[in-house]
Amino acid sequence: MESTRYRLIELLEASREQYVSGQFLSEKLNISRSAIWKHMKELKKDGYVIEGIRRKGYRIVKSPDKVSENTVQWGLQTNWLGKQIIHKATTNSTQQVAHQAARENAEHGTVIIADEQTEGKGRMERHWHSPKNKGIWMSLILRPPIPPAAAPQLTLLTATVLADVITEYTTASPNIKWPNDLLIRDKKTAGILTEMQAEQDRIKYVVAGIGINVNHSYDNFPSEISNKATSLKLETGQDLQVVPIIQHILRCFERSYDAFIRDGFSTIKNKWESYGYKIGEAIKIRTNHEILEATFTGIAEDGALLVHTDSDGTRKMYSGEIEWFRK
Amino acid sequence: MLKAQEIRELIQLIDQSEIGEFTYETDGVTVSMKKSNNHSAVTANTKTETVPDQPSEPVKTAGTEIRTEPKEANAPKEEPAAEKTAEADKEIVSPMVGTFYTKPTPESDIYVQKGSKVEADTVVCIVEAMKLFNEIEAETTGEITDILVEDGELVEYGQPLFRVKTK
Repeated sequence: MESTRYRLIELLEASREQYVSGQFLSEKLNISRSAIWKHMKELKKDGYVIEGIRRKGYRIVKSPDKVSENTVQWGLQTNWLGKQIIHKATTNSTQQVAHQAARENAEHGTVIIADEQTEGKGRMERHWHSPKNKGIWMSLILRPPIPPAAAPQLTLLTATVLADVITEYTTASPNIKWPNDLLIRDKKTAGILTEMQAEQDRIKYVVAGIGINVNHSYDNFPSEISNKATSLKLETGQDLQVVPIIQHILRCFERSYDAFIRDGFSTIKNKWESYGYKIGEAIKIRTNHEILEATFTGIAEDGALLVHTDSDGTRKMYSGEIEWFRK
Repeated sequence: MLKAQEIRELIQLIDQSEIGEFTYETDGVTVSMKKSNNHSAVTANTKTETVPDQPSEPVKTAGTEIRTEPKEANAPKEEPAAEKTAEADKEIVSPMVGTFYTKPTPESDIYVQKGSKVEADTVVCIVEAMKLFNEIEAETTGEITDILVEDGELVEYGQPLFRVKTK
């Protein structure tokens, strides 16, 4: 059913300027003319504008920038990521949908996308404001063949993918705040929340959650974060189409993930550092036991934060609250 | 668990020290080292020609004997002060370096406490590393007898977090 619809879109897109006859489609897809008509109706719901003319046939006038399983999957060109897409117009949080799906054995590469999240969350269940059709709210289900201790590197990998895509699609220059926040001119544009279910030596699954503020105007942010958050549109003045960005993220993620599984973290490390926020500058780190003032020198071979102090030399940190913005 | 590299370092340190015997116990594994001091170290001047009747074999420096033996899985911890923990027969250990959290958010209830009954898939805590949140499951059915780490504390790979009495 689903795959028939993609084939249908493919056939129509292949001859964009010309009409494709119902007879031809019916033969190619091996379904009845009335079945084709039903598929057309579904495509129109997704936002496709299809012109149908008697005796001539059908023609796609406009592909939609409306997120759906169909629009994301058509032209996606990935090998495994996004072969299964679960799209929700509105949901509590794509992370929760992903956890549920993963527990029910959703396959590696399943993608959950929502137009709106009512309970979008960041770290420590902090609220992530995710208004309708303003951003990309998406979670990826992964089942990586790596030890649990290496899984945090996926967070840094995801951050480099988002930085690459933003750089390619917009005029903005993003930075990555260790390990995983994307900033444009010191304001948060995108966040990543990675959660894992693992046994001692085996990952059951990882959910990589991505939130990107795309078409927000100032009014779309709650006042308490309006001085800390921004959107791609606010930073660049560009009105951006969401579907091609989602597709590009999925393509880049797949490529980067495959390289990571094959070759390890080293290729990610260099890229990460090229986007790294405040490398070479002084930062303040708060752990349970101490407050440390140190120079942020870069990241380690496993993605950990490297800091240098005159008294302790170089230290490797995996955890801790960092005060990035205090002078 | 100790790495080969770490054991090597220990040997060197003990070799150079006055310590005659050394035992290290963690995570159900015991490492014991004992110096065989009956070999006295002989210095390099034995090779000069003025000493014709030197020993034909080079004399070893102080030898070191190493024994690594996994303890019986069910052996109770020998801590006389904590009688209750003697019942525990399993530990839940951290799969990675990170920060230990007993609850999902500062405002939430803690996942488990002493005396909590757990199933294999009961989430007992979170270990966070580089903002990755790993929900740790008990992986066993039983009762939590001890929480070995404080909320917010840094934990190492393989560090015991809970003791469990299995059913």
